[in-house]
Amino acid sequence: MKSFLILLITFFVISCNSNRPKPIKLNSENCEFCKMTIANGKFGAELITQKGRYYKFDDVACMLQYTKSNQVLVKMFFVNDYLKENELVTAEKCFFLKGGTINSPMRGNIAAFSSDKEQKEFQTKLNAEPMTWQQVYDSYK
Amino acid sequence: MKKLICILFLLLFSISNAKTIEVGSKFPVKKIKQALQLAVDGDTIIVNGGVYKEGNILINKKIIFLGKNFPIIDGQRKFEVISVNADNVVIKGFKIINSGYASLDDPCGIKVYDKSFVKIENNILDNNFFGIYLQNSRNCLIKNNKILAYGKQEQLIGNGIHCWKSDNLQIIANKISGHRDGIYFEFVTQSIIWRNISNKNIRYGLHFMFSNDDAYITNVFKNNGAGVAVMFTKNVKMYNNYFEENWGDSAYGLLLKEIADSYIFNNKFARNTSGIYMEGTSRIKVEKNVFESNGWGMKIQASCMDNEIVNNNYLKNTFDISTNGSLVLNTFNSNYWDKYEGYDLDKNGVGDVPYHPLSLFAVLTEKTPSAMLLYRSFMITLLDKSEKVLPSITPDNFIDKTPLMKSLPL
Repeated sequence: MKSFLILLITFFVISCNSNRPKPIKLNSENCEFCKMTIANGKFGAELITQKGRYYKFDDVACMLQYTKSNQVLVKMFFVNDYLKENELVTAEKCFFLKGGTINSPMRGNIAAFSSDKEQKEFQTKLNAEPMTWQQVYDSYK
Repeated sequence: MKKLICILFLLLFSISNAKTIEVGSKFPVKKIKQALQLAVDGDTIIVNGGVYKEGNILINKKIIFLGKNFPIIDGQRKFEVISVNADNVVIKGFKIINSGYASLDDPCGIKVYDKSFVKIENNILDNNFFGIYLQNSRNCLIKNNKILAYGKQEQLIGNGIHCWKSDNLQIIANKISGHRDGIYFEFVTQSIIWRNISNKNIRYGLHFMFSNDDAYITNVFKNNGAGVAVMFTKNVKMYNNYFEENWGDSAYGLLLKEIADSYIFNNKFARNTSGIYMEGTSRIKVEKNVFESNGWGMKIQASCMDNEIVNNNYLKNTFDISTNGSLVLNTFNSNYWDKYEGYDLDKNGVGDVPYHPLSLFAVLTEKTPSAMLLYRSFMITLLDKSEKVLPSITPDNFIDKTPLMKSLPL
């Protein structure tokens, strides 16, 4: 009985302390910053605060502006993989491209890729500039 | 006089010089692409009824492209159906179906690339990713088109009429449904949207981004996922529109965000979750509108300033106004509020006691939405009444000093 209880408690603790993103429901959820309905699963973004709250955004630009203007204590950032449909991946592990022919909903024009190979491939295709997450993060104040 | 005749003659000559090419199964020219090859600037191509599956049709000559009995041009889910790459092209009377889908390059029913004076009239666009897409175009006319798509939630789909970096456009009398945004304007200036019907689109009926100096007049926006959004824009005129039945947690009849110097006149907001939601808006005049049977008539966030709300009718809304701050930087004058309980002793049509449009409960639910559970309970009604007499939570200068006794005939 005791071990079962411990198991139960650890299960609860783990499930509360999740580092997984919650999937974005396209066309029904709003961007926390610009209030637009999130409709494009290539540019969406999400963050988890240190208290465990989730906020969803339609553009990386919105997420970073929201974070900086409200001084949010962020645990994790997630972004949509540009080459997939509405899949959130950890922002630190991504490779970014900015500008060129990338058209994101709020003109952040930043696309995320999960490998540097894809980044290189699309750099010429989209005529865009490569960036790291740190550079993306620092480009908003 | 002689000169004039000479010019007239020349003109006639130049008109008669243009030839007409007919396309159809009964004609020597069977394919549209063949006709396009034969044509020169100024020619007319008439396409007769039938189904044409010719991949991407690129119009790169100044031609008039007419359909007889709505010939069907099928993109077979693979191609951009018609690409316009010449000035002065007219496209009229076609049924354009099944453009390519969901790829990275936004395939369209009809796309205009950096051109002027293109007319797209009387077409039916069915089941395309984007309907009509104008990119970097000027002085174009989009009129009387029916644009249908069958987008669902959780699915990527383009906009009905998508305009980007353009100016002097006229979007008139189109019917759009089932797209992401019915009409989408981004960096579009000096343009007019008139007499369109945009309903059942997944996101917005009309969506403005960074588009200054435009007007939209006498349109109907009904049953869209989230109503109409006008964002990051200056100097937009909104007259005589209907905003109806935009229901949902994140749905607004009209969403205004970061917009300035605009004029909202004589519109009707009926049966929306929120009639107007304003955030970061300034110097807007809201005049002679009707707000009827909405959850919230207007939600004015504290970031709004210098807006004037004059001569509107507020009828049968659950809440007429709500706000999230205590600072009042907007003025309310001479509106009709059906919840007004004051009197008019001097019989001049204006109530003698000011009206507080902001109810206590509206403020409470703004802070804790779940308090809505207590709506219409005895305690809340009591608190609301006492708040009206002695404002404590609601800002006491949030008032209409000259509330009207009778609704305006709008």
